[in-house]
Amino acid sequence: MAATSLYELANPVRFERIAARAFPVSLIAAALLGAFGLYFALFNSPADYQQGETVRIMYVHVPAAWMAMFCYSAMAISSIAGFVWKHPLADVAAKETAPIGAAFTFLALFTGSLWGKPMWGAWWAWDARLTSVLILFFLYLGYMALWRAIPDKTRAAKLAAILAIVGFVNVPIIKFSVDWWNSLHQPASVLRAGGPSIHADMLTPLFFTIGAYVFGYVALLLASMRNELMARRLARMESASAPSPASLVER
Amino acid sequence: MNPKKQQRLILFGGIFLAAAGAVALTLYALRGSITYFYTPSELALLDETPTSPIRLGGLVAYESVEYDRAETGDVVSFTVEDGGAAVVRVNFAGLLPDLFREGQGVVVQGRMTGDGVMTADNVLAKHDENYMPKEVAEALKEQGVWKEDETGS
Amino acid sequence: MSAFFAIIARDVALAFRAGGGALQAVSFFALTIVLFALAVGPDLALMSDIAAPVLWTSALLATLISLEQVYRPDREDGSLDVLAETSDVLALTAFAKATAHWISTGLLLTAATPILALLFNIEGPALWPLLLSLLIGAPGLSLIGSFAAALTAALPRAGLLIAIIVSPLYAPILIFGAGAASAGAAGDPQYGANLALLGASSLFAAIFSPLASAAALRFNLD
Repeated sequence: MAATSLYELANPVRFERIAARAFPVSLIAAALLGAFGLYFALFNSPADYQQGETVRIMYVHVPAAWMAMFCYSAMAISSIAGFVWKHPLADVAAKETAPIGAAFTFLALFTGSLWGKPMWGAWWAWDARLTSVLILFFLYLGYMALWRAIPDKTRAAKLAAILAIVGFVNVPIIKFSVDWWNSLHQPASVLRAGGPSIHADMLTPLFFTIGAYVFGYVALLLASMRNELMARRLARMESASAPSPASLVER
Repeated sequence: MNPKKQQRLILFGGIFLAAAGAVALTLYALRGSITYFYTPSELALLDETPTSPIRLGGLVAYESVEYDRAETGDVVSFTVEDGGAAVVRVNFAGLLPDLFREGQGVVVQGRMTGDGVMTADNVLAKHDENYMPKEVAEALKEQGVWKEDETGS
Repeated sequence: MSAFFAIIARDVALAFRAGGGALQAVSFFALTIVLFALAVGPDLALMSDIAAPVLWTSALLATLISLEQVYRPDREDGSLDVLAETSDVLALTAFAKATAHWISTGLLLTAATPILALLFNIEGPALWPLLLSLLIGAPGLSLIGSFAAALTAALPRAGLLIAIIVSPLYAPILIFGAGAASAGAAGDPQYGANLALLGASSLFAAIFSPLASAAALRFNLD
């Protein structure tokens, strides 16, 4: 027990040092890439030959959808790492990734809906891609609910990790749903055999906004992980110091 | 063999059998078609015309779109094809999406009202995975390297 | 192996005893279907169109409300510790628990379906796809559900949490199950493919659920 608590103390301290420096860097990178990306996306990229100006929704929708899947994968990998190496930071990373991933998933669904109405003619369609992404959103919610329900953090970490790993089956289903079923959603344009089918003038702003999303995720993750670690340290300190009668009365 | 080893054997044997069964069933299912929509050819292969609402997917045939501006409201009708012999004529009263045009992939929701005739409740346009500026698309067409979409699948 | 069947026999007996979940689940199943029927009104054609989704959703909900009974009572009275200590392979014990849950709810719901389907104007040959899909899919519901029950075994009043966790995991079974039942009744050729995918989902659940449940139970023992 002594060894684990030492470990737990030593690592977050080093993490704290690195995070304190990496947080502003990633925040600035996200802001710059986002500004460049939005400039190119809105003013300096061509309209599509079929979709016209509406294609610009792609630059917020596609990165959000990618990050939705990326965050779940990161959550599942951290969960596995938490199991194998019993690294406390891995559990915290998995826990703090969930709300960010859920937000990206919601953004992907929301922008997709805005895009679907003018292009397809419907806000929503129950095709395989849309359904599986909606399920991903609910998987995030279930994961977060489980964390909140279990008071003991160590136990919560292990049980939530099992749920995250089980739910990972959905990620390849999302990725390949457009290939396995003939869906309303179009197949992959960037990550596909035979190279991207997006014109280079449109690919550039897309890469900028993807970069902005990735650094935005890193910044949010670092901030919320630091928050969580501080909250835990506070809780430990509170439970370590014996409660005085006065504090009991106050409560 | 002690009971623990025996149970392990049962566990791994069971997992192996279940995995093999799941894979075999999935392969069987993917060989058949599980579809979000029927194409006109698939619809023609059915023994009887479905009475419940279905989705129909395919391309809007060129020079098949007719508008009938009667006093009952705007009614549009068009033919959906998939490259095969079978086609379906769709009647629709409602708003068409921006992307709807001849040669475009569409998914139509509605009921069959006769052999090869359908009344649509909703028409959705599919777009493909190609994104490019208009000028590039035109240049490609001029050079003759433009590849028309295959069936909207 | 006798321990495996002993667990099943014990759990099934407990489920049918006063206060057990079996009769509650089947009553809930019947009530949901009646409520749906009252809400839909007198349109018989519409009723037979939506019979498969309604019965499948009701079966899923009835399974859902009985899941809390799978592990929590055992953990509260300490018999879960005994089970974990005495079983050589905990995953097989978890499989036995899920099987018992299926017998006392899923199988019972399937057995009640022919009568309740009459309320939705389903009889004769249209009934068979519904029964077959429930027979193949309901074990999957119990397997996936008992995993969520194992995750929350240590929590009091976990019913709503189980529902939130398990609903997204139930999606494939509901889609393929109700899809197969509808397609089968309509004479649609997608019937076979839907049934195959339903079977694959149940088999897949049979692989992951006992292993994941066993892992979760280990962390839920004191």
